[in-house]
Amino acid sequence: MRWALAIASFVILIVHGWVFYDQFFHKWERHQNAYFDQARAMAKTDAERTALAGRSPRIEQIIVTAFGEKGGENRVDRCTTCHIGIDDPRFKDHAEPLKSHPFSEALGDRMINGKWERRHKFSDFGCTLCHDGQGRGLDTFYGHGEDHYWPDPLLGYVTQNWRADFKPKLKNKEYMQANCAQCHTEENFKSTPLVAKGRQLFYEKNCYGCHKIEGLSTGTLGPALSEAGKKFKLDYLWESVVEPRANSATSFMPKFNLTDDEVKALVTFLKSRRGINFSETSLDRYRATLDKPKEGGVELTSTTPATTPKAEAAAAGTTVALGEKLVKDHSCLACHKLGAVDGGVAPDLSFEGLLKDDNWLLGHFRDPRALVSDSIMPAFGLPEGDYQAMTTYLSSLKTPPALGAPAEIFKNNCARCHGDMGNGKGMIAVYLDPYPRDLTKAGFMNSKTEDRLVASIREGVLGTSMPGWGKVLNDEQIKGVLNYIQTSFVKDPRRPLKARQVPETNPVASSKESITRGEQIFLQRCTGCHGKKGDGKGPNSLDILPRPRNLRNGEFMNSLSDRRLFESILYGVQGTAMPPWVDYGLTQKEVGDLVNYLRSFRQGKK
Amino acid sequence: MKANRSFWRGLLAMPANVWHSIFRHPLPHSDLGRAQTSFTNFFLHIHPVKVNRHTIKPWYTMGLGLISFFLFVLLVVSGILLMFYYVPSTTQAYDRMLDLRGSVAFGTFLRNMHRWGAHAMVAAVFLHMCRVFFTGSYKKPREFNWVIGIGLFLLTLFSSFTGYLLPWDQLAFWAITVGAAIAGYAPFIGADVQFLLLGDTTVGQEALLRFYVLHIAVLPLVLTLLVSVHFWRIRKDGGLSRPPEADGLPEAKPDTVVEWPTELDVAPVAQAAAAPVAVATVAPVAAPAIEKKRYGIQGLVRGPFTKVGNVPENTVFSWPSLFMAELFVFVLTVAGILVVSLLFNAPLEEPVNVMHPPNPAKAPWYFLGLQEMVSYSAFWGGVGIPTVEVLLLLLVPYLDRNPEGVGHWFSRKRLLANTLFLIFVIVNIVLIIIGTFFRGPNWEFVSPW
Repeated sequence: MRWALAIASFVILIVHGWVFYDQFFHKWERHQNAYFDQARAMAKTDAERTALAGRSPRIEQIIVTAFGEKGGENRVDRCTTCHIGIDDPRFKDHAEPLKSHPFSEALGDRMINGKWERRHKFSDFGCTLCHDGQGRGLDTFYGHGEDHYWPDPLLGYVTQNWRADFKPKLKNKEYMQANCAQCHTEENFKSTPLVAKGRQLFYEKNCYGCHKIEGLSTGTLGPALSEAGKKFKLDYLWESVVEPRANSATSFMPKFNLTDDEVKALVTFLKSRRGINFSETSLDRYRATLDKPKEGGVELTSTTPATTPKAEAAAAGTTVALGEKLVKDHSCLACHKLGAVDGGVAPDLSFEGLLKDDNWLLGHFRDPRALVSDSIMPAFGLPEGDYQAMTTYLSSLKTPPALGAPAEIFKNNCARCHGDMGNGKGMIAVYLDPYPRDLTKAGFMNSKTEDRLVASIREGVLGTSMPGWGKVLNDEQIKGVLNYIQTSFVKDPRRPLKARQVPETNPVASSKESITRGEQIFLQRCTGCHGKKGDGKGPNSLDILPRPRNLRNGEFMNSLSDRRLFESILYGVQGTAMPPWVDYGLTQKEVGDLVNYLRSFRQGKK
Repeated sequence: MKANRSFWRGLLAMPANVWHSIFRHPLPHSDLGRAQTSFTNFFLHIHPVKVNRHTIKPWYTMGLGLISFFLFVLLVVSGILLMFYYVPSTTQAYDRMLDLRGSVAFGTFLRNMHRWGAHAMVAAVFLHMCRVFFTGSYKKPREFNWVIGIGLFLLTLFSSFTGYLLPWDQLAFWAITVGAAIAGYAPFIGADVQFLLLGDTTVGQEALLRFYVLHIAVLPLVLTLLVSVHFWRIRKDGGLSRPPEADGLPEAKPDTVVEWPTELDVAPVAQAAAAPVAVATVAPVAAPAIEKKRYGIQGLVRGPFTKVGNVPENTVFSWPSLFMAELFVFVLTVAGILVVSLLFNAPLEEPVNVMHPPNPAKAPWYFLGLQEMVSYSAFWGGVGIPTVEVLLLLLVPYLDRNPEGVGHWFSRKRLLANTLFLIFVIVNIVLIIIGTFFRGPNWEFVSPW
């Protein structure tokens, strides 16, 4: 035991020695001593020598009061403990860490009487304000933010343990422009070209349609990016732009196929978004939100001046060409398909002129949800001239697709939404609301008259993504496709439908009392699936496919006849979760009240 | 002249005089001296003058209780030093951590010692509890000391838990958020307990302050008090548990009543201490023969501990046997913590970001068994089962009244009790291992390899 005791005591001694050595022989002391030695050798006057003689190694720090962290607290930068020659021009050719900080016109430094003068004095600005890194650290690993837990590694210098394929792209001092923009918020500040370019791309590539950045955009589809620069490191931003699903498996952000330079600009711009910055007060921020137009995004005339002259040129006649350019420039094809380019998120625009008319297109541009209630397409708030040009361009696309046998027609035109197997799970189905119809459900398909199915194909279904194919397919072809669906997907043969006792028009006159009664019935019977608001988002809705109908989808509801509403409510919709309410004791009169209630949704709106 | 000379002589002898005034006895060479050394030293006198040989067998206790105690002392010392640099404020705490790591002399090392010491203490206290169970040491008359021990275990957990928040990094914030949420699953009082703990509905400044005060003042005080009682009762319950045969008695007769001398004089303390020496070789049956002896005040206290008239055979002097053993445990504990602190840095993750929970957000490791159970059922995993477990632990000595098998590891006579406890231990350890290593994002099962 005595031996063990001796050994353990020895271990304690050794550890103490080690720790003490570590504590009293710092690397930074060596750097400082090296600096003193060399400065002494360079000293020309006695005053310089005596000043140096009085100096011994110590922790140096700059306390920055004007540009604190977390909105108000002092910033403590101890970087000059190692980088002690930072403001000593004699050390401009030394190796790091003694090398002096370069002077540069771009930083605002000026040559006065043959001597450089700094615009950003270290005593006022410190180091981490521009460079990031951890001001309190006293060794390279922690001070430079190489520790992967540290949220702000030296911007453009330290890449932590980031993805190997991005790493080299993220090492570039140009990224520091993001920090310049904390104070220099002017849009076209000459020293921050990357930020300006990124901002421009943010609009050009339509990022603003989905993402909100306070003061710049109001999109709600994607995550807000007002503080993206504070929350995320460069690698995360880069990855999210290039591979939207890398960090969020459910993201439906399209891949924009940007060049590396564009991504770099975007990332720098995003990195500069750190919430409230030094040059604006929260009051400015609040005012900006008050001034912003409520709908349709931001006023783009000011932010992308390039589009306005174009819009004016539109009147001159080159509208189609301009529209085409706009559609391309605005990354419409990041989601939509047009010809060979396919974003894989939204419907095919290749022959949009045959599917939609000018009015619809223009109205849809202005506010997609006015026409398709649950569309995910943002209202981009472009200038009206742009919309008109794009509308003109899209409605000029009238070349019908190559048609062939019904199977081929289905494959080329229907499968994008309804899926190759007809099961409603096409490539873009998850982005559509309501989902495309599952054509394999015989219960549904066979309970509808052939006329109605033909009409749905020919006229489309208003308020949904189903366009009218009347100008692409003739009745013959439509019937052919239907027949193909019937034999390949539905499989059950059609049986003659029972005639049902349903009134053509609502026998109950619409009145306040009727609507109130209808509301009561609705609240008792319908909210489980259709939701209290009737928007189809009731508590059971998630377990049901097809999803319960959004009864506030005005376009759709208005296109329905009273007869169809009565039939669906009284006798249910086969192949869906909608039961025949006549079996649960609803009378025709009660259904009449319900229909009046449903119709009343629309009255409040335009 | 004479006075003058004696003054100088006195001055010359001063160092020796100072020394002897502090240490009243030279290093002992006789049994009397050994007894006196333990008896008259403030720090040593909590020990008995003599201990049973069985007590100092290294593989019986493995020093786990002492390790826990020394770790506690280590934590108090390093904790006090850390307190000089810490501010319990949400805006400053993390910066203080950075300072400790970067600029404060020995800061990193202190923090490492405190961190690893805390983890080690949780483990040591738990292992100590296992030792006590598997040797059946909670049996009469040590029932209540077991209960105090369970209290100490819970306090240790709570101390560690409250300390976990103080660095105010992501690890701390989300671990406490999860831990406090587990408390919130209790029926009726859950939300109130959580609010009381956090001082808010979420972890924030109030919670930080509360945890700080609990961690640096309240819990250490209560712990110190309970540790004292725990130690006190070890002596009052007759020293560490041991098999009856370790006392050198022919057959187990713990309740043998010995004839007590009726007339007792209160003797000077030193003499009383020496008393056992004189009778060390006398068999207990010879008690009436020493009737005329003078006894110390200790002789008055009844109970099954070392006492006059029931002199244990199989004893050795605490000095040096016991003290050497304790020193050995101490040095080993300190060496272990020092080496670990030198090799591994205490974690410090990102500053708190309330909007960005890590996935998965994990509680401190010793609560990951709970969190694992919570993932199956919030109430049963977080409240029901733990409460039942703690209650059962507290009641162990009162449920198990079988007097057999004390003093042996895994005694055959305690097969059922030991098996049940072993299952309890293994299940909890397995749950902790699953929660620590096998749970990934969304608490889904992942392989650590």
